[in-house]
Amino acid sequence: MSDKKSPQDWMNDWQALQKQYWSAWSDAAKQSTGQAPPSNTPWHEGLEQWSRMFANPGSQSETAERLLGSAKNYVALMQSMVAAATGKPGGADPMQAWSEAFRNGFNMPGMDASLLNNPMAAMLQGIRGESAHGFDQLAQSFAPFLAQAKQEGMSWLQAPAFGYAREHQEHYQKMMAAFVEYQEAMKQYNALILKSSARSFEIFENKLAERAEPGRQIDSLRGLYDVWVDAAEEAYGEIALSDEFRKVYGSVVNAQMRVRAQIQAEVERIGVDLGMPTRTELNSVHKRLHDMRRASLASNNAELQKEIDQLRKEVRMLRDAVDGKKHAPPSTPSTRIEKAKPDTTPKRKHAAAVAKPRAASKQATPSFGEALGAMRAVAPATASNKPATAVTGAHAKRAAGKGSKA
Amino acid sequence: MNPIRIDPQKALDEAMKFNQKLTAGMKTLRSLDEVDYGATAKEEVYREDKLVLYHFKGAGKPSAKTPLLISYALVNRPYMVDLQDDRSLVKNLLALGEDIYLIDWGYPDPSDRYLTLDDYINGYIRRCVDVVAKRHNVEKINLLGICQGGAFSLCFASIYPEKIRNLITMVTPVDFHTPDNMLSHWTRGMDVDLFVDTLGNVPADLMNWCYLTLKPVRLNQQKYIGLVDILDDKAELENFLRMEKWIFDSPDQAGEAFRQFIKDFYQANKLVTGGLKIGDKDVSLNNVSMPVLNIFAEQDHLVPPSASRPLKNLAGTKDYTELAFKGGHIGIYVSGRAQREVPTAIHDWLAQR
Repeated sequence: MSDKKSPQDWMNDWQALQKQYWSAWSDAAKQSTGQAPPSNTPWHEGLEQWSRMFANPGSQSETAERLLGSAKNYVALMQSMVAAATGKPGGADPMQAWSEAFRNGFNMPGMDASLLNNPMAAMLQGIRGESAHGFDQLAQSFAPFLAQAKQEGMSWLQAPAFGYAREHQEHYQKMMAAFVEYQEAMKQYNALILKSSARSFEIFENKLAERAEPGRQIDSLRGLYDVWVDAAEEAYGEIALSDEFRKVYGSVVNAQMRVRAQIQAEVERIGVDLGMPTRTELNSVHKRLHDMRRASLASNNAELQKEIDQLRKEVRMLRDAVDGKKHAPPSTPSTRIEKAKPDTTPKRKHAAAVAKPRAASKQATPSFGEALGAMRAVAPATASNKPATAVTGAHAKRAAGKGSKA
Repeated sequence: MNPIRIDPQKALDEAMKFNQKLTAGMKTLRSLDEVDYGATAKEEVYREDKLVLYHFKGAGKPSAKTPLLISYALVNRPYMVDLQDDRSLVKNLLALGEDIYLIDWGYPDPSDRYLTLDDYINGYIRRCVDVVAKRHNVEKINLLGICQGGAFSLCFASIYPEKIRNLITMVTPVDFHTPDNMLSHWTRGMDVDLFVDTLGNVPADLMNWCYLTLKPVRLNQQKYIGLVDILDDKAELENFLRMEKWIFDSPDQAGEAFRQFIKDFYQANKLVTGGLKIGDKDVSLNNVSMPVLNIFAEQDHLVPPSASRPLKNLAGTKDYTELAFKGGHIGIYVSGRAQREVPTAIHDWLAQR
């Protein structure tokens, strides 16, 4: 920056630059929407027109929304920094001046007062995006009731309940108490986030001081912004890794879960009254199903493997028998084989009898394929629970038929 | 000397250029189709519940005799390993002659809430390993675990060392209590029983929100400011959107598995302190006796290198190799450097064993 100009010259330049910037904005906006943005407005408002263009859901609308949200903040920041570059060409403490410009840049007109001078909180709030509705909104809707409860000194939350509706009253008391607890936890969390925002500007000034040596000076808005981002993340990291943050973070999460649990219980109660299915009963069914499946797998796995080995041995013998070879019967026949007809039965008939005794008795001479098919049908109840070694082949063949889903 | 030398005219030009790029880029953004992903042909070879086991098809016949099964994390979709043609760990490994399988865990729904780590590790992974081994008529296969899938792979290799020939872990947390592990730090104040009892399955949006709050400014604002620089480049923009899709296309987490993972790994750090049980099976890293290649990313904010490195002293193997990759948790799959370095390192290491 040159130091030769007077403050008035800088101010004139600044106004000229603003005008130039807005002319460009107007041209761009006219091209796309046919409407020019009003003059003398903050720069970031030029982006509002683009936001409206992406208001409807579309394939890229979420990305566009996040892009525009970030761009709006960044443009506001740039405006503040350009103003600083133009209006404060020196001064007793330039780093503090830039830090101040940065701080002001985050304070966009019309923003929530709780976010003023607190860019980290704004950043965290922005994660959800403008279209997502989170738990905070629900908490906000309860805020008036909580305010009333607090006005009454919270005494009724501890008051004993009586009579027919005592259980309901107690439930509502617990729900409100959980909300109060959540609000308190959030207050502590927000205090830490505010602390991290304040700390970010301290670190920012320190980082700027490190850049004073020749060759390391910052000559672009983006460069300056990137230094602030490093400072902000460092400050946040310091806080987020502290024991205090761990405790507060845990309190927020746990308090929110208690609120949710109370609301769920209330919704369930209403659901039961109306004869609607509930989460609890579905969970119960799902749990039973999983437990049964596990028990079935556990009991079947070892037993089934043994049986499969035995059946494979049988298949080999049957194949040999079909081929006309003579073999002695297996030395340790399976349970099913023991239940089959006596050894006097001819080999091929014996196989069919093993697999499907009733049907086999009606057939004269079943083929090898029929016998094998019948053997597979011996334990249909366990088919879905077969270990991978048993089902792989069938799955693989089916999959090969289907081809790739990629 | 003043650390800031920003010329007002140059500053305004910079603001104008930003504006122009944004204006032009918005038009490009609106003209883009939905991005696709997945570069390599694959076939389904096994399916169970929502799990699908895929076998990738390379241009040529694999030269490797032992197949390699990739076990990805539950918290993101596994197509990151085969994101696009010029960013694919799978494609590069296939080109080097490896034979690749991948477990796709699918998207758990409320009926999967009671899936436990026992179901995942002693059930799904074991059956997938058996399927792959049977298809290749081998007793042991190679296993590549990524992130949480790496922690699962360590458990599996400890319980079933007879099934694993070589184990590769990528960006895998082992010691969850290192001082720089923000995620772990936060979880230790959580009542995870209350959390899972209330939520059932853990919603993906909640998980993503948590990840974004690890670096709120960088991930929520600076990244999108940087996006303006590439808004006029359609190919780069598509790459960005593909990544963006992957980041937010996350499955919900099965409640019981999440409960155990947080309790035993994040809170109790049992891979290090001992006493970990998956179902009725004891897990001790001392049983990980097969050769181990441990790859981690030096700038990983989710799994810091300090969380991965302890594997060296904890694994029972006498054949341990470590690879420190210059990049982050995502860059290790998709950066240009990753394409050059990671598949070759894996292939060369396997070829020597």
